[in-house]
Amino acid sequence: MVRVLVVLYISINIFSITQAVAERSGKLETKAILITTHPNEGPVKGDFEYGEYLAAECVTCHSATGKDKGIPPITGWDAEGFISVMNAYKIKDLENPAMQLIAARLDEEQMASLALYFATLPEAE
Amino acid sequence: MTKINRRQFSALLGTTAAAGALAMPNVTGAASHGAKPKVVVIGGGAGGATAARYIAKDSKGEIDVILIEPSKRYYTCFFSNLYLGDFREYASIGHGYDGLANNHGVNVVHDWAASVDGANKKVILASGASISYDKLVISPGIDMKYDSVPGYSVEAQSKMPHGWKSGTQVQAIKHRVANMPEGGTFVMVPPPNPFRCPPGPYERVSMIANYLKKNNPTAKIIILDTKPKFSKQGLFEDGWQRHYDGMIEWISSEVHGGIKNVNPDTMEIETDLDTFKADAASVVPAQKAGAIAMNAGVTDGDWAPIMPATMASKADPNIYVLGDASVAKSMPKSGFSANSQAKVAANAIRGELTGSKVFEARFANTCWSLISDNDGVKVGASYKAGAEKIDVVDKFISKNGEDEATRKATYEESEGWYSGITADMFS
Ligand SMILES: Cc1cc2nc3c(=O)[nH]c(=O)nc-3n(C[C@H](O)[C@H](O)[C@H](O)COP(=O)(O)OP(=O)(O)OC[C@H]3O[C@@H](n4cnc5c(N)ncnc54)[C@H](O)[C@@H]3O)c2cc1C
Repeated sequence: MVRVLVVLYISINIFSITQAVAERSGKLETKAILITTHPNEGPVKGDFEYGEYLAAECVTCHSATGKDKGIPPITGWDAEGFISVMNAYKIKDLENPAMQLIAARLDEEQMASLALYFATLPEAE
Repeated sequence: MTKINRRQFSALLGTTAAAGALAMPNVTGAASHGAKPKVVVIGGGAGGATAARYIAKDSKGEIDVILIEPSKRYYTCFFSNLYLGDFREYASIGHGYDGLANNHGVNVVHDWAASVDGANKKVILASGASISYDKLVISPGIDMKYDSVPGYSVEAQSKMPHGWKSGTQVQAIKHRVANMPEGGTFVMVPPPNPFRCPPGPYERVSMIANYLKKNNPTAKIIILDTKPKFSKQGLFEDGWQRHYDGMIEWISSEVHGGIKNVNPDTMEIETDLDTFKADAASVVPAQKAGAIAMNAGVTDGDWAPIMPATMASKADPNIYVLGDASVAKSMPKSGFSANSQAKVAANAIRGELTGSKVFEARFANTCWSLISDNDGVKVGASYKAGAEKIDVVDKFISKNGEDEATRKATYEESEGWYSGITADMFS
C-alpha cells in the first residue's frame, strides 16, 4: 500500500513539475506498473564526485541555487524521486525533448550519482 | 491538481539523502611540492569565465587561476536579440567578475593578452606584464573577416553594425532601427558558415520585426543571406508568416548571387539581383578565431583544432581552446557549447595538475530562439568525444504546429537557461 502511494506520489510530483495537464492522468496507471515492477530497493548507489561532475551539465539550465525561472529547481530533491523523474524522461513518459535527450544517455549509476549530488544541495525556497 | 512539496515527499518515502555519509574521495595532489599549479585563462566570456570558475571552485584552492579579460562587464550576445525586441533591458544582459573573485578566489586581471609564448609558457599582456602558466585556456571568441564583405570595415561598422560581439554595437542597431522613417527598410546580411550562433541572425530579424510591428508597422525587413539555407529555417519561416506576414523577405544567396558591395555612406547593398537601399542595416561578416589564438600558434586556417576528449589544442598540449575559436565539430558555436566544453576542459586540467579524477567527456547544447511574444523554439543535441571530432549522440528540434502552451513554455525555459548559464559563469 505504501509502495502504491509512493508511486502515485511520484507520478503526481512528476506532473506538477512539468505542469502537465490533467488529461494525461490516464497514464498514472502505466507509470505505477512501470515503477513497481522495477522497485528501487534499498539506498540509491552512486558516486558523489561523479555526480558533481555530471551535475555540471544540469546546472547550465537548472540553477545550482535552485532558483525557479522557467526551468524547475532540482536541488534538494529526494534521491529516489529524482531517479523516477529521470527515468520517466528516459522512457519518454515525460515530454520535454531537451530532458529526454539528457536522460536518454544516463545509465543507472550516473542517475544515482546525480541524485545523490542534488539531494545534498539546499532545496529551493 | 494538488501539488505536494518535496519535503512532504521525502517524509512519505521515509528516506532522506544522508549527505554527511557521502564523503568526498581523497584527491592526491600531483604538484604537492613547490608552488601551486597555475592556470591562466584568456577571455572572460562563455568559455573562459566558466573554465576559470570550475577550475577554481572544484580545485578548492589547490590551483591558482588568473583570468585575463579587458572588459569590466561582459554583455552577453545571447539575449541581445531579446533586447532588440524590447523583451530585455540592456543592463540585464551585463555581468561583472566580482563573483569569480569573491566566491572562488580567481585573480581577474582586466587587461588584453597581447601574445602567448608557448615555448616558455608565458602570456604577455598589453600593459607589458608577463604571466607564466602551467596550463593556458584560450577562449577569445571570434574576430571579423572584414574583407569578406566588399566595402565593409571597422569604420563601416558604425553605420552598419554587426553587433556580433559583446559590446555596444547592439545598442547602435537598436538606435538605428528606432530612427527608421515610417515604412522604412531594415537590411540584415547574415554571415557565411561557420559562424557564431547559427540561428542568431534569424532570431535578430524576428526580434526587430517584433519591435517594428509595434512601432513602425509598415516597415520592411530584407535578409540578404550569404547562404542558400539556414538554421531552424522551417520554424522561422513559419513563425514569420504567422506573426509578421509580409514584413520579412529572405533572399537566398542563390537568388541574389552574393554581396558585391556595401556602401555605408549611401546605405546601399549591391547584389547581382539588385541594389538594396537600407534605412538601417546590420552586416555580419565571415568570422575567424580571436587573434590571440592565431598568435599562440594553435590555429589551422581560421580556427583552432582540439582533442575532443579534453579540448586541448592539437598543436600544444598545455593550451586548451574553448568556444567559438575552436574546431568543435559537430557542436555549433554557441554560448551553451562553450560552457559545456569549459567543464570538460576544467575536469581534464584539474586531473593533470592535481591528480583529481578525470571523468569521460560529455557535451551538450541547446539553442533557444524567440520568434515573437511567447513563441519560443529550440534545437539541441548531446555529444561525446569521438577519436577525431566531437560526435553527436542524439538531437531534437521544435516542430511546426506545436500548441501555444508548448511555445510559451519553451520561451520561459530560455529565460531559465539564461539565468542558469550566467550564474554558472559568474556566480
Ligand atoms: C546575436 C547573438 C545571439 C546569440 N544567442 C545565443 C544563444 O541564444 N545561445 C547560445 O548558447 N549562444 C548564443 N550566441 C553565441 C554566443 O554568444 C557565443 O557562442 C559565445 O559567447 C562564445 O563564447 P566564447 O567564450 O568562445 O567567446 P566570448 O563569449 O565572445 O568571450 C570571449 C572573451 O574573450 C575576450 N578576449 C578576446 N581576446 C582577448 C585577448 N587577447 N585578451 C583578453 N581577453 C580577450 C573578449 O573580451 C571576450 O570577453 C549568440 C551570439 C550572438 C552574436
